[in-house]
Amino acid sequence: MKLFAKDRPEIPIVDHLKADGTEWTIKEKLWLGLSIDEYKKQFFRNPVNWLMISIFSIGIPLILGRYVFGLGWVTHSSNDYPWGLFLGFGLFGMVPLSASGFMLGTTVELFGRKDFHSIERLALLNGLLGYFFAVIFLEVDLGMPWRLPYPMFVSLGPAAVLFLVAWHVATYLSVQVAEVLPAFFEWIGWLQGKRIIRKWVLGLTISGIILSTLHQGALGALFTYAPAKVHPLWLSVNFQWIHYFCSSIFAGLSMVIISSTLIKNFMGWRCDDGFKDNLDYVTIGLAKGASYAMITYLVIKLVAIAHDQEWAYLLTGWGSYYMLELGVGVVLPMFMFAVGIRNQWVALIRLGAFITVIGIIWNRLNTALVCYNWQMYQEIPHWKEVWITVTIYSLYFLTYRFIVYRLPIVYGWQGEK
Amino acid sequence: MKQLLNRRNFLKGGLAATASAAVLKNKKTEAHSFEGYPDGMGVLVDLTRCVGCRSCEAACNKEQGLPEPAKPFDDFSVFDEMHHGQKRRTDETAYTIVNRYDVPEIDHPLFRKIQCNHCEEPACLTSCFVNAYTKTPEGAVIYNPKVCVGCRTCMIACPFYIPTFKYSSAFKPRIMKCIFCYDTRLKDGKPPACVEACPQEALTFGKRTDVLKMGKQRIQQKAGKYVDHIYGEHEVGGTAWMYISDVPFDKVGFDTHVPKEPILNSVKEFLGIVPMVLTIWPGLFVGFHLLATRKDKVKEMKEAEDRNNNDEKEGQA
Amino acid sequence: MRTRKKIVRTAFALAIGTVFIVPSQTWCMDASDAPESVTIDTMSDLYGPVEFDHLMHSEYASCQECHHQTTGEIVVDPNCGRCHHSHDENDIVSCSECHEADRFNKTYLKTLENPELYHFDKPGLKGAFHLNCVRCHEITSGPTGCQECHTMTEAGEKRFNTGSYAPAKGTASSGHEH
Repeated sequence: MKLFAKDRPEIPIVDHLKADGTEWTIKEKLWLGLSIDEYKKQFFRNPVNWLMISIFSIGIPLILGRYVFGLGWVTHSSNDYPWGLFLGFGLFGMVPLSASGFMLGTTVELFGRKDFHSIERLALLNGLLGYFFAVIFLEVDLGMPWRLPYPMFVSLGPAAVLFLVAWHVATYLSVQVAEVLPAFFEWIGWLQGKRIIRKWVLGLTISGIILSTLHQGALGALFTYAPAKVHPLWLSVNFQWIHYFCSSIFAGLSMVIISSTLIKNFMGWRCDDGFKDNLDYVTIGLAKGASYAMITYLVIKLVAIAHDQEWAYLLTGWGSYYMLELGVGVVLPMFMFAVGIRNQWVALIRLGAFITVIGIIWNRLNTALVCYNWQMYQEIPHWKEVWITVTIYSLYFLTYRFIVYRLPIVYGWQGEK
Repeated sequence: MKQLLNRRNFLKGGLAATASAAVLKNKKTEAHSFEGYPDGMGVLVDLTRCVGCRSCEAACNKEQGLPEPAKPFDDFSVFDEMHHGQKRRTDETAYTIVNRYDVPEIDHPLFRKIQCNHCEEPACLTSCFVNAYTKTPEGAVIYNPKVCVGCRTCMIACPFYIPTFKYSSAFKPRIMKCIFCYDTRLKDGKPPACVEACPQEALTFGKRTDVLKMGKQRIQQKAGKYVDHIYGEHEVGGTAWMYISDVPFDKVGFDTHVPKEPILNSVKEFLGIVPMVLTIWPGLFVGFHLLATRKDKVKEMKEAEDRNNNDEKEGQA
Repeated sequence: MRTRKKIVRTAFALAIGTVFIVPSQTWCMDASDAPESVTIDTMSDLYGPVEFDHLMHSEYASCQECHHQTTGEIVVDPNCGRCHHSHDENDIVSCSECHEADRFNKTYLKTLENPELYHFDKPGLKGAFHLNCVRCHEITSGPTGCQECHTMTEAGEKRFNTGSYAPAKGTASSGHEH
């Protein structure tokens, strides 16, 4: 893109109008204002796309096979480990990383911190896509994916935690669509729609907080159904929902730091100066928020161990693993954030954010797979299961990139607002 | 019991209200009883009687129309099978399994039959978000494949690792689990096929309260023979199938760490906060918003005032 | 721990199903009052009838070890002796008269609800047979495998997927394999 952006002033598209004063059509906007040949050229020049192609060439047939031959064809069909990577990573990992939407929504719209405005849309989009793809992962994992609406409309079990998750994720997904729509309306040039959403924004933001608190917590609470199966260090009946909610805060913030870093480095042509100039300041701000959440999280983790009298477990092998997870996944990045904030070392913060995200995924996988059935045996996912997980994550990546390429997420729309 | 019921209904009510409030949609909340029924049936399994003949497995297979087994039911080499270091378990081809345990203190092997224990307050039922499970007045925990979405939370929640999933099917997968022969026998007052097949009467069928009494009597009358514990009397809030044994239960594969209260109790911590978040959060955050944006408002007002003043001044001038 | 001796003492207790013995004038019965052999066929379906050699078994064990107090001998289990100490032979000696063949049917279960009933945990007929035969056979190295006493019928082979109904090797489904 850089190539075209250099010698064609109207590219990248930031306005309804071309250089000659005529309007871009939606189709032209979709092709980024390039001719099809130009589009192909830039597409195949990018090595990431080749990686994607190779992942999809095996992944897509595997996904199709899953729907034709059943889950047993791509997983180990374990009755001991009913949830594998699709949920362990796809649902339990993706959802906390998508807490960014409600976090930044709250910061900007509710607390009036306009200084974070430049990252708000990216955070909202990050949230929306994370949730959307968590649902996609769910659709791969569900035995009867065509019955997804059953808990909503056909047969209701309102006393189940999963019922809350289903309703809240579904509702929150709609809220997030509404929150991201203004960018889309600007892009297609339908200002009426944007104005309508603008009126709802406070309501949407507050419902976002409520729904997020509850379903982030509910994901943790799901494991309280298995008090005898999950290792006691990873399961606190009383505090599980707070652990999950609290860790989602710094997970979501760190995910936005990573995503904005990638966008700045590899999609510089798409960012406007407002985004680029503000990014370091915003990143430090996000890291501050994340550090507060992290220290809170560590304290509640400690409280949980004290409450359940689990000190003895810390001396076992599982205890060392537990401390390794917390040490590498939370304490280390927290220090990196602290040092980074004090010395304004944004690169250190970015590295810390990366470690945080890995740490959260690690924690969720530990709860759902590694420390689940800790007294039994360790389930190693089938290679097809791993490949499908990677494939869907790549699809997430592509969709993310597709939208950021086009909609005014990291740049301001120059046309009428 | 009554207290429990009230609390549960309270939670359910709270959750239902929550869900409706969240989506502004009134929904029918079918009242499901999570209580054990007073006339529910049960089975007492006496481990001292079981000889591992696998007649129950064979009977179950035929009664439930399950697939042909890999090995004949009179082939006892299955007792040596290990999968991931574990003895055999229920799966989509078998609702009940007998496993052999060699306990060093005892000169002969012991056998333990596993199947659904038909909890009084089943974890599978309480964790199911489409109400696919029902605890019938006869004591069976049955499953409705017509509404199941295949999320497999019941398999996570079941403390006994009983529900299994028909992974082999792409178009008609379902949970496969013992249903106490509800459709074909229990609802007509007949014992399940496995009980009827047992030559040793290691399985005694009757009202749960009666077989519980029997278990206590056996323990008392044969003083010293049995371990003084009925597994299932209190485990996870009580189960319809209960076990007595002459060796400590953990030596014959029982999980003795399962809670002595319904699994739902460990979830209630979270369920309790739901109505709170729903009612308190909106007010709280609107308050935060007003506080946080107060300065802006004040500034706006001031500007407006200044403008008015200027206008007035101009008017005067 | 289970006490083996107690089992021996109560073993052989209830082995005969269909035999019906006319009480004799003697104070106490002995083995010569009983038939030499009894065919147990009340429940033959999966397994054929069993020819029980009563005479042979009576040489191994005394009557009360199978028949409790009914033959007029002193009951083995002292706990039973607390009530059953009359030393009078009963009118009923055959197993099936006391031990219900259809142990778990609704009507029978209903009778167990009587709060006055002491013997509410009485095994059914099939249970009574096997509990006594198998335990004693284990100790005396008698036959313990199902088909050492019973011949399996075709219905039995079908039920157990064995014999002519054995699963073909390799084609059988197994949910165990991962």
